[in-house]
Amino acid sequence: MALEQPILLKRIPSVPHGDPADRRTIGYDEYVKTGGYAALDKSCGMDPKDIVETVKAAELRGRGGAGFPAGMKWSFLPPPDGGQRFLAINADESEPATFKDQVLIRYDPHLVIEGIAICMKACHLDTAYFYIRGEYHIHREVFERAIQEAWDNDVFGDNSRMGKINDRPPRLFLQRGAGAYICGEETALLESLEGKRGWPRIKPPFPAVAGAFGRPTIINNVETLATVPAVVENGADWFKTFGKGRPEGAPPQVPASFGTKLFGVSGPVKKPGVIEENLGLKLSTLIEDYHGGMLPGQKFKGAIPGGISMGVLGTDQYEAELDFDIGKKYACLGLGTACVTVIPDSVSMVAMARNCARFYSHESCGQCTPCREGGNWLYKILSRIEAGDGTTKDLDLLLEVAGSMGSMPGTTICGLADGANWAVRTIVNKFWDEFEAAVSKERFVSLSVVGG
Amino acid sequence: MAWITKNSGTMPIERREEPYLNDAIKQHFEEEYIPRYPNRQAATIPLLHAIQDEHNWLPFQAIEEAADFLGLPASTVLDTATFYEEFFLQPRGKYTIWVCQSISCEIMGNVQLVDRLSQVLGISPGETTDDGRFTLMHVECIGACGGAPCALVNHQLHENLTVDNVEQIIQGLE
Ligand SMILES: Cc1cc2nc3c(=O)[nH]c(=O)nc-3n(C[C@H](O)[C@H](O)[C@H](O)COP(=O)(O)O)c2cc1C
Ligand code: SF4
Ligand code: FES
Repeated sequence: MALEQPILLKRIPSVPHGDPADRRTIGYDEYVKTGGYAALDKSCGMDPKDIVETVKAAELRGRGGAGFPAGMKWSFLPPPDGGQRFLAINADESEPATFKDQVLIRYDPHLVIEGIAICMKACHLDTAYFYIRGEYHIHREVFERAIQEAWDNDVFGDNSRMGKINDRPPRLFLQRGAGAYICGEETALLESLEGKRGWPRIKPPFPAVAGAFGRPTIINNVETLATVPAVVENGADWFKTFGKGRPEGAPPQVPASFGTKLFGVSGPVKKPGVIEENLGLKLSTLIEDYHGGMLPGQKFKGAIPGGISMGVLGTDQYEAELDFDIGKKYACLGLGTACVTVIPDSVSMVAMARNCARFYSHESCGQCTPCREGGNWLYKILSRIEAGDGTTKDLDLLLEVAGSMGSMPGTTICGLADGANWAVRTIVNKFWDEFEAAVSKERFVSLSVVGG
Repeated sequence: MAWITKNSGTMPIERREEPYLNDAIKQHFEEEYIPRYPNRQAATIPLLHAIQDEHNWLPFQAIEEAADFLGLPASTVLDTATFYEEFFLQPRGKYTIWVCQSISCEIMGNVQLVDRLSQVLGISPGETTDDGRFTLMHVECIGACGGAPCALVNHQLHENLTVDNVEQIIQGLE
């Protein structure tokens, strides 16, 4: 069921259809010549409601990490009231080991812009901000130019082919972030956009009701929006021929993973990079067939499915099928961004857990005590274990602290702490032997055991 | 980021006659940026970037001037400026070297790179060389994991670095 024709990477040479060395930015003219903006033109002739219905019927799930259905998110918007409504495009891409959106931004920016425009038309959003992380310098320059081309060619502005939206000319602007992982969280992104520190907001209200500047706002990931043009052009049924459907006979409330997705692989493989494939692809196939397998002398020990917040897949989960709902099946948080980090057996899992914990303690925004303090403690305990000064009790403490952090245990505002929770717990649990071997065998009675 | 300790409010602020936020930037912002948003505060981060692009860091006086331009209290703009890793509230080197320390780069050997750079430059991460040329920083994943381990030198990305070739990223820089 290998993908015959890439969809998202139609114009971007990628394995196995092309050589990544041949990648270059596609400008407006070339984009149009190769069928670009046809979906936007089609959308302009459609009732906005029907566009939302198409995306809903396609069951297109968000590609930013959480896998929330895009069409459903769009339908949470209240009816237009004449005031401004916003789209914030999440190009913050800061989840460690994630480098997929940048391929689209840098090489086929108009595909992203077309998806943005269609979303604006469908959801009655007049102003869009492309929030791009501060460290993407080349990408920012490329995208600024593409936005200018789009204005010059009446995608946006007074003479926009979309006409007026909410009685205003549709507009798209680039907004540069300034180095803060948390600004990828959707409400932190909005705070940052408003010129404030990136502190996630307590929900509800959800952004669809009260988002940027207190107005209805949609936040979608770059790849999610880049998938929209193909869905609108070819229809929901076509889209659902790709990816992984629900098991036979399962009711429609069971989530499915339709469509193709960008997959990245980094770590000690022969050809690291980003490719496009059907959702449901096996991890082993991704590594061996698309990325050349492990480097000589390196052995697969584990993998992180898509950003460290998802936790780890163990040595015996090499055959895992990568769809949005792998979490329950393989005891991790989910597929996340589908940018896989391969961990070789030459690397210590204690070091990996310590690296993750350091990340969360550094990137916590500091609002919630379990996240701010807990992250720091995880880092300290893991550094201690790594230095050889840990005890068995530390392992219990580690699991206890990690397990108490997050919006799922209900102790924090946002999901950053859930990432710390899952990263640390899954690494410790799936590689318990390594951790046990790293701590001293002195016997301590754990506080969590005696209930202290 | 949130943990950058602010200097005390009683700290003397060095001032100079000439404003950091010059008329050219002001005019550009009035025309290009302010109309993008429903309020002026939203132009804070782009404005701080513009000032830092020009002066390489954000002196307190510049923060005050930005606040004045945006119609905000200086403390509000300072609050935002201190939150973000890219904003420097102290002078830094002409070149900032950001070495990625996240997971894929650690697997591929970033620790040795930082050690080597520290040795060559004679500074630890977070410090600036005495001649004011280089500041060495750790950074979290910069989205170039396929080329791990990697580093940014100002806006320039360098991928697939090794202990042997890492010095070349600073060679030829003045
Ligand atoms: C701590 C944290 C960081 C996040 N970082 C990103 C990010 O860098 N890029 C992204 O697209 N989504 C990120 N998300 C997910 C967003 O909150 C949001 O779900 C997503 O942008 C919605 O877009 P989608 O539905 O199209 O996927 C992050 C979430 C959390 C909790
Ligand atoms: S969970 Fe952490 S990052 Fe999220 S709001 Fe709370 S302190 Fe901030
Ligand atoms: S982990 Fe270093 S660039 Fe992503």
